[in-house]
Amino acid sequence: MSVYWSLASLYVRSFYNLPGKKTAGNNPAGKSILKVAGFGALMVFSVAYFGYLFVGLNLNLYEGLALAGMQDILFLNAAVMATAMTLVVGFMTALSTYYLNDMELQLLAMPIRPRAMFGAKFTAVYVSEAAFSLFFMIATMVVFGIKEGPGPVFYLWGAIAGLLLPLPPLAASYLVQIPLLSSARFLRNKKTIMLVGGFLGIAFALAVNVYFQRMMPPVADPAARASAVAGPGSAVSLFGGAYPPAFLAWRAMSEPTAPGASFAMLRLIAWCALGPALVIFFLSGAYARSLVGFNEAHLRKLSATGADAFIVRRIRAGAPYLTMVKREFGMMNREPMYLLNGPFIVVLLPLIAGVMAVAREDSILSDPDLAGVRALIDGGLGAALAGLVGAFLGSGTSIACTALSRDAKALPFIKSLPVRPAAYMLAKLGHALVFGVAGSAIGVGLLALVLRLDPASALSGLAAALALSSLLNLAGLWLDTANPRLSWDNPIAAMKQNPNSVIAMLGSMGLLVGSGYLAFRFEMGTGAVAFWFGAAPFAAFCALLSAYPRYAERRLAAMEA
Amino acid sequence: MIELKGVSKTYARSAVKAVDGLSLSIGDGEIFGFLGPNGAGKTTTIKMITGVLRPDSGNVSVDGIDVAADPIEAKRRIGYVTDNPELFARLKAAEYLNFVGDVYGVDTRTRQARVSEYASLFGIKDALGGSIGSFSHGMKQKLLVTASLLPDPQNWVLDEPMVGLDPKASFDLKEIMRARAAAGRTVFFSTHVMEVAERLCDRLAIVNKGRIVFMGTLAELKRGQGADGSLESLFLELVDGEAANEASPKAVV
Repeated sequence: MSVYWSLASLYVRSFYNLPGKKTAGNNPAGKSILKVAGFGALMVFSVAYFGYLFVGLNLNLYEGLALAGMQDILFLNAAVMATAMTLVVGFMTALSTYYLNDMELQLLAMPIRPRAMFGAKFTAVYVSEAAFSLFFMIATMVVFGIKEGPGPVFYLWGAIAGLLLPLPPLAASYLVQIPLLSSARFLRNKKTIMLVGGFLGIAFALAVNVYFQRMMPPVADPAARASAVAGPGSAVSLFGGAYPPAFLAWRAMSEPTAPGASFAMLRLIAWCALGPALVIFFLSGAYARSLVGFNEAHLRKLSATGADAFIVRRIRAGAPYLTMVKREFGMMNREPMYLLNGPFIVVLLPLIAGVMAVAREDSILSDPDLAGVRALIDGGLGAALAGLVGAFLGSGTSIACTALSRDAKALPFIKSLPVRPAAYMLAKLGHALVFGVAGSAIGVGLLALVLRLDPASALSGLAAALALSSLLNLAGLWLDTANPRLSWDNPIAAMKQNPNSVIAMLGSMGLLVGSGYLAFRFEMGTGAVAFWFGAAPFAAFCALLSAYPRYAERRLAAMEA
Repeated sequence: MIELKGVSKTYARSAVKAVDGLSLSIGDGEIFGFLGPNGAGKTTTIKMITGVLRPDSGNVSVDGIDVAADPIEAKRRIGYVTDNPELFARLKAAEYLNFVGDVYGVDTRTRQARVSEYASLFGIKDALGGSIGSFSHGMKQKLLVTASLLPDPQNWVLDEPMVGLDPKASFDLKEIMRARAAAGRTVFFSTHVMEVAERLCDRLAIVNKGRIVFMGTLAELKRGQGADGSLESLFLELVDGEAANEASPKAVV
């Protein structure tokens, strides 16, 4: 295997936390098959969920554009969206993986050409971008394929375009980042670039929501709405017309069998290959040099007298349980990857909801179609909705469902301490419940404002939110105790790539949506909401909590950390 | 006092025994060196002593307390220096020391005195307000040693403690080990550095493939092997001899 392929394989395995080659007999076959089947089902479910969302969006757009006979603009929209999405996601991925870990400094010491090293990293980042882009193009092809029945060449061009479109945005990302990180030494810090990447991600999430909200709702004039979003005079079309790769993809897909289509695809290949080739050829050396300095640590030191005063002031005894909870806060909130994907959700989701409300330029209460719902809201549905939203926010931080996985590296040391495993795990639950309370209060408070709930309904909703979020957090902790991810190279794998967080998120969404449906279907009053969504989950929480310590003791004792 | 009787451990994902019927007894006031090549079972044994791993068979006791039956009480009597100081990078040194102190129930006054003593000795007192992630490997190791001594444990278990330490810190650590043994405490440590074991240990065990191939004093080792070389050459003879015996069993006969 060449140096390039060997490195690309190494990077891909590190980025996506793929297991190495299995040796015979190191994993029981039955368990392995079950795990693969479970993970496969989860992947199918996730792809189906997002596929449904994207196909729905494209369907709305198609129907709007078809009314004006402009349905082929759908491809231009898809190409621009794939480009925009891979530009933002690719920029963040390239930034967060710019310096992976100290392994890269070892690579620099080896007889490896910078072009092989940078090319391999570019390839590894490209893999996820290609998947994103392809997903976007396939969603469009599904809608157009069902509605218009184009020939097989259409799908071929669509797939090739999907694979090619992420290349220029990724090259552009490195074109910005390499000179920036080469010149700005203060940026060569993993924590700083994770924070920058995280906040870019948040801005991106907000922008995507604005875009979706403008497309998704059924409106009185879908043609006008579709035209405004993707029509010839829209920003998307104007950009698409001026950006050759998007324009060429559109040309090839709108008339796939025309003689010009093949030529357009060839030009698309040339355009998309040009960026990466230039970046890899000219900037590889600068990239390799910019990696030096990432592992430098800056330690603040105390003076001799300051150190004595510091010991008197800061070295003090405390309660063991509280010190364990404090450790959980410190370990999570100071790791940008954990903070942005965990506790920060409590702030982020309300922010996104606020932007969505502004983007829609309307409100539930002012919508004449929903006037009849007011009585239901006052009757108990408002309390139920507030409770469910609060519970979602209170349990959406992934603190509990990744608690043990995040601590994998420290687990052997923790197990050597004279502390009961149950107490250690209950400290993790305490940490999750603090954010559960905060999320519940924020979620219920916002809903109470939006739906103008009376105090009794708001309190009833808060009780439901607290009970449900506590139950969901405990269930998440149980899940991570049963099946923690103990082997990982970087925090992303413990949190974002942890199947437990996906299972917990989808599970809580399913439970909460189902509960909302039941509240609506049976027109529950405030008292019924307080009982079914408050008292019943609280009883379930207490029952689980009484059984959990024994389970945690047994499970942790058996764990070969 | 640390005692292991017929302890065995096979990891769930492996078919090979990491530790195979291991028995040893380390008395109070003794410095015991645990030597062996990589993968010999040293860390696995230490993890069973400290209650991190459960043995498949056999029994581990600390000061007469069965680790499996009463793990919390047994662990209270152990100060443990892990072989991996890359822990809790996001915590500050003082936070980590307070965490360990709280878990072991060390009161404020004692804690402050011990932190001051050991942090000064190891030269990390001025860094106590810093994040552990910004420490060098050696500083992290010194912090772990300081934390392990906060509860003044009867049994001090150290896994490769000299790795990453500068010569002065290494010297200081050896002095602390001697002082603790002189005060009637048990010191159990694993090492690859033969010179350290040679100069420090009252007794030592050489382990290979999960089994003890020698246990006794250095003088006994030299006598038994009929050689007058360094511990390093004796160690190599023992380990290589085991390997050769396994490769051609007839040679033993």
